[in-house]
Amino acid sequence: MIPVLFGALFLTFVLSRAMPGDPVSAYLPARATPEQYWAAYYAYGFHLPIWQQFFIYLGNIFTGNWGNSINVAKGVPVWDLIWERLPRTIDITLFSMIIATFIGIKAGVTSAKHRNKWKDTVFRGTALIGVSIPVFWLGLLLQYFISYQLGWLPNMHFKDAAYPDPPVVTGFRIIDSLISGQWYLVTDYLVHLALPVFSLSFIFLASITRQTRSSMLEVLQQDYIRTARAKGCKEKDVIKKHARKNALIPTVTIIGLNIGGLLGGAFLTETTFNLFGVGNLLLEAITGRDYSTLNAIVVMTTLVFIIVNLFVDIIYAYLDPRIKY
Amino acid sequence: MKQEVSLEQLKGELEAEEEKSASKAVFKWFFKNIKFLLIPASRLEELTMREREYEKSVSKRKFLKRLKSILTIIGVILVLYVITLAVFGAWISPFTFAEADDVYGVYWTAPSPLHPLGTTYMGRDVYARMIYGARASLTMALPAIGVSLGFGILFGLISGYTGGWLDTIIMRLFDIMLAFPALIFAIVIVSIFGRQLNNIIMAYGILGIPYYSRLIRGNVLQAKELPYIQAAKVAGAKNWRIMFRHILPNTIQPIIISFTLDIGGVILSFAGLAFLGYSDPDLIEWGRDISLARGHILTAPWASLWPGVMIIITVLGFMLLGDGLRDALDPRLKNL
Repeated sequence: MIPVLFGALFLTFVLSRAMPGDPVSAYLPARATPEQYWAAYYAYGFHLPIWQQFFIYLGNIFTGNWGNSINVAKGVPVWDLIWERLPRTIDITLFSMIIATFIGIKAGVTSAKHRNKWKDTVFRGTALIGVSIPVFWLGLLLQYFISYQLGWLPNMHFKDAAYPDPPVVTGFRIIDSLISGQWYLVTDYLVHLALPVFSLSFIFLASITRQTRSSMLEVLQQDYIRTARAKGCKEKDVIKKHARKNALIPTVTIIGLNIGGLLGGAFLTETTFNLFGVGNLLLEAITGRDYSTLNAIVVMTTLVFIIVNLFVDIIYAYLDPRIKY
Repeated sequence: MKQEVSLEQLKGELEAEEEKSASKAVFKWFFKNIKFLLIPASRLEELTMREREYEKSVSKRKFLKRLKSILTIIGVILVLYVITLAVFGAWISPFTFAEADDVYGVYWTAPSPLHPLGTTYMGRDVYARMIYGARASLTMALPAIGVSLGFGILFGLISGYTGGWLDTIIMRLFDIMLAFPALIFAIVIVSIFGRQLNNIIMAYGILGIPYYSRLIRGNVLQAKELPYIQAAKVAGAKNWRIMFRHILPNTIQPIIISFTLDIGGVILSFAGLAFLGYSDPDLIEWGRDISLARGHILTAPWASLWPGVMIIITVLGFMLLGDGLRDALDPRLKNL
């Protein structure tokens, strides 16, 4: 885990420095004198050898200093900047993951139970469309039909323009609104998140349904399922107690592996719905060559991937007690 | 004796059936060649000649039968449709490539006889761009997967077969690459080297290497312990030869399945990248069309609707084909 994180840090440092152009020229005004340019250049330490810069950067990280944003918001510490955007990304990713996991497993199990019946056909067809639809296009479609044509849900942003922000305690809008007792802000926020969460979870749901269905069908052919049925176990218990837990192991793997794709999808969805999440910040950081912001986002995403896969390992042990670490 | 008669009959029937149509000869040639790679049962050396013939015909029959599901046929049709658009687009489309990629006509007009699906930004014809977009999708997806597949097989074989410190190093590097966010990697690579087609292909080619390597490596580790590898070693075969002549053909089956399924995934990734504005400006690409048309979705919904439909058709085709191939090649996994 630590080597992987270190490797990601190294890789992103090298890649970000390899991008042509530098942040200083991007934020200085066009008529800046060479003296001003070089002064800023030296101030950020870009004149040092690249390996020296890397070690300075590493040293700063170990002392908890992730650097200040150079270009996106000049001089603001990177984590403050990210923390301002992160709650929305976390919210839509987490909501989508929870919804997709529950519905996906349910749909997969139902689909396997009623194999080749109409339920199965419907779920399978939906899942097939789900894996082949681009997430941003689904978002656009929802925006067009549900918010523009039918007017049921708001189309963009995470809040109504007329509504105030709750006082910041944790940064998460739901929790903050609850603390300050403004219930209408919570509903407003949830209503705004409905379309992004739906489009993001639809993609994820499809792969979970497919995987659950296939592993469930494989498990249902096992000997111990026949034994369970032969001893007179109720079909409901056969599915719930004997089959489902075993069938979930490959599904959990899929969830762990797809978390990277889910975050990428979250970035795209944020762009579609203008949610001002980490995805937008990332694009700004790349176009502005804002090294420290970019590096911090990469390290954060990698960390999320690693932690989720750690959880996946723990869930394995719960699902299959034979696995011990 | 009784069995032999039935075998003969079966063979006779099969041959008579095959001679019926010339189109089947093409199929016959194709499966004769692909089957040797893919179906281990057709290579059992201890079978006698006649039984082998029988096995071949039966397994060929089974393969065809399994491939003949309605969904697979739809997948084949969709893929062929997209390939046709990519190859013969210039004949099908009402506008030439240059006209479809130039300032032309009136911006954002509704569907009319001249523009059957309306026009998009700079007055370009949506229908023509739908057709020409197939070129970009296929020319990007196939080489990208090719790169991942080639290097993935190479690294997977080497690291699985040699083991030791080389294996550890390669796998640690791949762990880092797997954990690194793919979208960010692609954007950064494109920012470094420019938005040309080959750079985007390279970015996704590199991103795919760890997946294939892991897949291959797992199979190699299993195959390495089997007696025929030891026999090859005793016979004095070089490591290189063992890897590519003996191990590779026995580990390639899951790769071929995931190859077809991954084409769809890669096309989706390219569309996402283009949606964020990172695509080759010289190409006609569905993802970029959607991204440029989305600001006008209220006045011109057709401009962002149709490219998306084409993406779905392409990806769905490859997904269905991949599912069908997996069912036919590996019946154990039939149920996905």
